[in-house]
Amino acid sequence: MSHMTNPLATPDQLYQRRALGSLPIELQDAIFFSTQCLTQAAGILLQLPQSVTAQANVILARYLLVEPIMAYEFSELSAASLFLVAKMGPSPRAPRDISNVYAYLLSSSSSFFRPPSSPPPVNDPSAYYRSDTSYQAFHTRVLAIEARIFYALGFDTHVSLPHPIAITYLQALDFLNVRKEKIAKRTLEYLNTALLSPQMLYCTSQPNALAVAAIYNAAKDVGAKMPECEWWEVFDVDREELGFLVVGMRSVEGWAKKMREDLPKMAQGMIKRRDVEEELARMGAATALGGEEDAEAEMARRMDQRMEEMETS
Amino acid sequence: MASKASRWADDGEDAALEAQRKKEKEEKKRLKAEKARKLEAEKQAREAAAEAAEAEAASQQQDTDSANGPPSKRRKVSPERATSNGAANSSRLLRFEGGTFTKSRSVENYDKLNDIEEGAYGWVSRARELSTGKVVALKRLKIDPKDRGGLPVTGLREIQILKDCDHRNIVKLREVVVGDDTSKIENIFLVLEFLEHDLKSILEDMPQPFLASEVKTLLLQLASGLSYLHDSYILHRDLKTSNLLLSNRGVLKIADFGMARYVSIPPPPKLTQLVVTLWYRAPELLLGSSRYTSAIDMWSLGCVFGELLTREPLLQGKNEVDELAKIFELCGIPTEESWPGFRRLPNARGLRLPPSAGGGAAAGSIIRAKFPLLTLAGVSLLSSLLALDPERRPTAKEVLDHEYFRQDPKPKSEAMFPTFPSKAGQERTRRRETPNAPGRGEKLADLGQIDFSGIFAGREMEERGGGFSLRMV
Repeated sequence: MSHMTNPLATPDQLYQRRALGSLPIELQDAIFFSTQCLTQAAGILLQLPQSVTAQANVILARYLLVEPIMAYEFSELSAASLFLVAKMGPSPRAPRDISNVYAYLLSSSSSFFRPPSSPPPVNDPSAYYRSDTSYQAFHTRVLAIEARIFYALGFDTHVSLPHPIAITYLQALDFLNVRKEKIAKRTLEYLNTALLSPQMLYCTSQPNALAVAAIYNAAKDVGAKMPECEWWEVFDVDREELGFLVVGMRSVEGWAKKMREDLPKMAQGMIKRRDVEEELARMGAATALGGEEDAEAEMARRMDQRMEEMETS
Repeated sequence: MASKASRWADDGEDAALEAQRKKEKEEKKRLKAEKARKLEAEKQAREAAAEAAEAEAASQQQDTDSANGPPSKRRKVSPERATSNGAANSSRLLRFEGGTFTKSRSVENYDKLNDIEEGAYGWVSRARELSTGKVVALKRLKIDPKDRGGLPVTGLREIQILKDCDHRNIVKLREVVVGDDTSKIENIFLVLEFLEHDLKSILEDMPQPFLASEVKTLLLQLASGLSYLHDSYILHRDLKTSNLLLSNRGVLKIADFGMARYVSIPPPPKLTQLVVTLWYRAPELLLGSSRYTSAIDMWSLGCVFGELLTREPLLQGKNEVDELAKIFELCGIPTEESWPGFRRLPNARGLRLPPSAGGGAAAGSIIRAKFPLLTLAGVSLLSSLLALDPERRPTAKEVLDHEYFRQDPKPKSEAMFPTFPSKAGQERTRRRETPNAPGRGEKLADLGQIDFSGIFAGREMEERGGGFSLRMV
């Protein structure tokens, strides 16, 4: 049964996320989104199959439900998760290649995470040249994060993706009035977008539910005729979960658009920890990061936050 | 709490619950009126109604949450559903349980008792869990801090595969723990169930070989574990007696998945040939095939079978070439007939074989001569497992159904199995006399141009002599 199931987040883990990072949740979501996008971009440049990149996305999402988001540089978290998933599978990638790809994506020469309206960046190879010492340091950090991710997940890196399940379901459903390729493509688009969702859908729902929700959305979009009955029950998905996922998947695009408007920093390439600290300062919160603040103040701040949570809930 | 997270956090559920309660009340009232008509179905109906109400409540919740709103279809259907409660019986949904994920615990939860062995991929020791008193085996992953590839892939694959497996003949991985200092993950331990023996040390120490009935029990268990693995698309790739554990209750379990991996069917094109300890390595591997199948495990199973009968490893080659020579000696020289297409394997091109005298027909008889006490069915099983052509070896499932296990003596019940003094339980480490499985990244043996006709020259002369013709009978 293991290729049908994933370990899921506990309600506690989902709830703790806000306390874990000591960051405002909007900021955490924005970081999460951009880090997942970075993993996808790196996966493409490294010519990894989407199945590997998608697994790396899921592994990272799980990790972020266990460990604070500010413990490591975001881009290196992304690199480590991609490195470790690729390494376990049939298409490992050399650390040097990974290092080059990330150096490029983070440089000013890459258009990654810049608004499409901005002029194409000037290609300046010196901007993404990585010296041997800087590569060695990057490599060492990635290896440390790799071990940390394994530790945080109890060494369970099993990921079952909904993509193949969705294709099987589509074949079973046999939408006669639309071309198969069309609806299959749309379904996979929904599944891939859901990887980026800060709602961490892959950590809250089993793959069969994700597959059914993506099919539902795709069928709506392409105008396919769905069975009149409650067909999702055939695939063991109940209406409530389906509803939640359908909305969750559809909301990613709008959310991302709004996030970029709210956080202009996000439109200037991949966000870094330093940016977050500045952003925090701008937002008026005390810098509570990297042990620069003394423990007492940190504790007081956390307690305040707790109280606030208890009052609101 | 208008943030995104709240939708699956508590408050969302609370609201949903409240709405559900209201709904439920209404449903109950309505149901009471129908009670006379549906006395029997009532209980199920109420459950189903609650489900429907829940879904309804949830969809309302999402309505207010999101501008997109849920597809209208769901609301349209729901009242119909409430009225058709009689049929709601059928909508029992399967729940998929995948467990959860959480940080590794510390190795300090275990108290080390004694070392069991030191292998190529780490050491194993016996330990007791402090909170439960349960005895376990702790296997430490060998980590080379200088290795710039990070944590060893073999160890990680072993963890992943063991986590996915659940079968009584496969050793259970209880958890993975780490050293106390979690700022740097350097000590990683697999917590495995503890079994008293490994087959290798039992075979070395026992004064008499296993009885035929005992061999059958062991073989059946091994084949059953192997059948589970192959059904789950896992190749073990290092089956040998020292990797087979035996409990004091006669239960055999396959261990050491350091070489194992998932494969597709048909197999991926470029599997490494650097697998399986030499003495248990199938001829197609020795000839450099990189598209091998589960049949390589079946070959190893045949070698283990032979070893159980004689207490001696069956094919103790000194190197790859010698191993092949020993295989051809026992199983016959491959021909286009006995192994179609073997000439196309990378290392077979330079192979110079003597003109085959007897070929496949002789193979069975050599095995027969080597195991005079084995029944006809036993010989047929063993020689089919040791078929040179991987296509002709039986699958693990076919082995389980083999005539050999139905014949007398019947397989001995596990409970009746003899017990042995445990090496692992005592303060003694096992010695390893079998060579180890090849390490990753080792150089592939290039057999090059090997002239096997020379090796067999002696045997050809033997054939002419009296000794060999006797064997032919």
